[in-house]
Amino acid sequence: MKKILSMILVLALATVMVACGSKSAAPAPEATPAETSSEATAPETAPAEVTKIVLLVSGSLGDKSFHDSSQAGMDMIKEKYGDKVELKTIEMGSDKTKFIPTLEDVSDEDWDIIVTGTFHMKEPVEEVAPLYPDKTYVLFDTAVDYEGIEGLDNVYSITYKQNEAGFLAGAFAAQMTTMTDIDNINPDKKIGFLGAMDIPVVNDFLVGYIEGAKYIDEDMKVDISYIDSYSDAAKGKELALIQYQNQGVDIGFNVAGRAGLGQIEAANEANCYAIGVDSDQAALFADSPEKAARIFTSALKRVDNSLLRTADMYFEGTLPLGKAEEIGLENNGVGLAPYDPSTSVVPQAVVDKVEDLKQQVIDGTIVVPSAIGMDSDTLSAIKASVQ
Amino acid sequence: MDMIMHMIWNDAFWFAVIRVTTPILYATLGAVIASRAGAINIGIEGTMLTGALMGVLFSALTQNAWMGLLAAMLSGALLGAMLAYFALKMKSNIVLTGIAINILSAGGTIFLLTTITGDKGISTSLNSKVLPNIDMPFIADLPVIGPILSGHNVLTYLVLVCIVMVHILFNHTALGLRIRAVGEAPESADSVGINVFKIKIIALVLSGILAGMGGAFLSMGYMSWFSAGMTAGRGYIALAARAIAGNSSVGALFASLLFGFADTLSNYLQSVQIPVEFIHMIPYVITILGFIVISVVNNKREVMRKKRQLG
Repeated sequence: MKKILSMILVLALATVMVACGSKSAAPAPEATPAETSSEATAPETAPAEVTKIVLLVSGSLGDKSFHDSSQAGMDMIKEKYGDKVELKTIEMGSDKTKFIPTLEDVSDEDWDIIVTGTFHMKEPVEEVAPLYPDKTYVLFDTAVDYEGIEGLDNVYSITYKQNEAGFLAGAFAAQMTTMTDIDNINPDKKIGFLGAMDIPVVNDFLVGYIEGAKYIDEDMKVDISYIDSYSDAAKGKELALIQYQNQGVDIGFNVAGRAGLGQIEAANEANCYAIGVDSDQAALFADSPEKAARIFTSALKRVDNSLLRTADMYFEGTLPLGKAEEIGLENNGVGLAPYDPSTSVVPQAVVDKVEDLKQQVIDGTIVVPSAIGMDSDTLSAIKASVQ
Repeated sequence: MDMIMHMIWNDAFWFAVIRVTTPILYATLGAVIASRAGAINIGIEGTMLTGALMGVLFSALTQNAWMGLLAAMLSGALLGAMLAYFALKMKSNIVLTGIAINILSAGGTIFLLTTITGDKGISTSLNSKVLPNIDMPFIADLPVIGPILSGHNVLTYLVLVCIVMVHILFNHTALGLRIRAVGEAPESADSVGINVFKIKIIALVLSGILAGMGGAFLSMGYMSWFSAGMTAGRGYIALAARAIAGNSSVGALFASLLFGFADTLSNYLQSVQIPVEFIHMIPYVITILGFIVISVVNNKREVMRKKRQLG
């Protein structure tokens, strides 16, 4: 009995493996030359009547953050272009070994634009895109290596100026931290920052945050902590509590994924305030209004806006293929979550000031430094300037 | 240095130490019981995670935090029994089975969370309950230790009761004696008619229950929601604490406190001008130092014991 069972199992396993293998490996080499020759006559400058766009989610939807924002972008495209586009979303899940095969499969099909994102997809796109020169690839939140790798003229990369979002968050926090007429705001010129790890993407937010705070008040101090995790919310809470209860911080900014949500818990316990990241964290806590009220605003990467913008450029024929573009406040690629005026205690003056600063960043009168590519001495100096 | 001393002589610091220690302590107690029975429960991390989710789900369903705690304990018991069934009855490798439980929990909790709430990261859309914080009647008024010991979550006080119960179990009950016998010499225990299989199952179920309670503390006391991967390695830290604790419940208390202290210290040091890489190292350095001290002490004891036997 046992023997038969194990034989069946082995057989099933073998079938699955063969099936998977043939699906992912076989079509790729034979289809590549065929498709390039057949579709070479239809250059991408004249899109077909119905443009087919597919979104490959390098994870799963429902994260209330990044991936959902990319889906929102697809919905915006559908709304704007209606019948001119045909859209599909494929969730690839967390198994990274499936990313390249899925990208190959999708490239074999008749999609015009293949959209995908996060740094997990950098190498898969670098590998697959040169094989399908007639397809358009859009890669968000990271950029392919245009100089090191040949044949990436069909890839458009989008990166986000999170430092500009950080700048507005810092300017916002620095104004709020001295408004003593709001409950539990102390007169200290001190704000908090809770990062996941001491890495460039997180520090890019931090550098902007510090610059924004200093722009409002040169004497502003920033208490900086790193959780060393993206999931340890309990540790995030401990660190935030220390900032709130021992360091005189009354408003903090969390850039740490789920671990950063510990800050909301701490803010609720210490009656202090928080600024969220990536998604509107106040909306995340919509079912517990007392916690949502602790979150003044959130610094957002607007993947949705950037994808709609990409579609616009595609239809206008101005999409800068073969290039990486940094999207900032100027193109609504980053920004602060809107405040809900009915529940928020944020004074209009602060809202106006932040709007004004946003305009100045867009005009170029304010240039926000970036931590990406910054050397560690400069970074340390910036951190030390607010201790 | 002054600043550090100032930090440490602070009510909030020690209050935080106790809070940080609590989940580790539950898990360590669970590890101690399993280890006493000669069964390593690697699955504690996953058991905690499942307990954390079950607590949230059932407290939201019943609108009663205590029912949530009960569900967390039951789910822990179930995972403990599962580990026992596969490892002892079906003769799988107990370490691998424990790892399997961890993987099952890591994915399974997200799967359940998504199915029920539609969210993959966090359970805030469920109106789950939290277990109450308790102001201790007399202790709260005491100077110095009052603010440190009073006002904790009910599970923090319950873990102290658990320590006493585990101590009594091992030292004053027949079951405890049998667990120890099974752990130290299963063949001998078998030869005097003890059902080794049954005793180990009981130990692993108890271990699972304690781990489940540790998980419930994370999602229903520490936080007010479940988030994916929120145990963040506390189950594994408990296994290390178990090794330092040397299989006693009181030892578990001190080993967990050591970890809680190290973790809190590293949190507090972040506001001092020390490179953050060093600060993140502190809990691990203290672990290694703890191991060294324990093994030196144990070695000495062993040498003494041998000398006595010879003499």
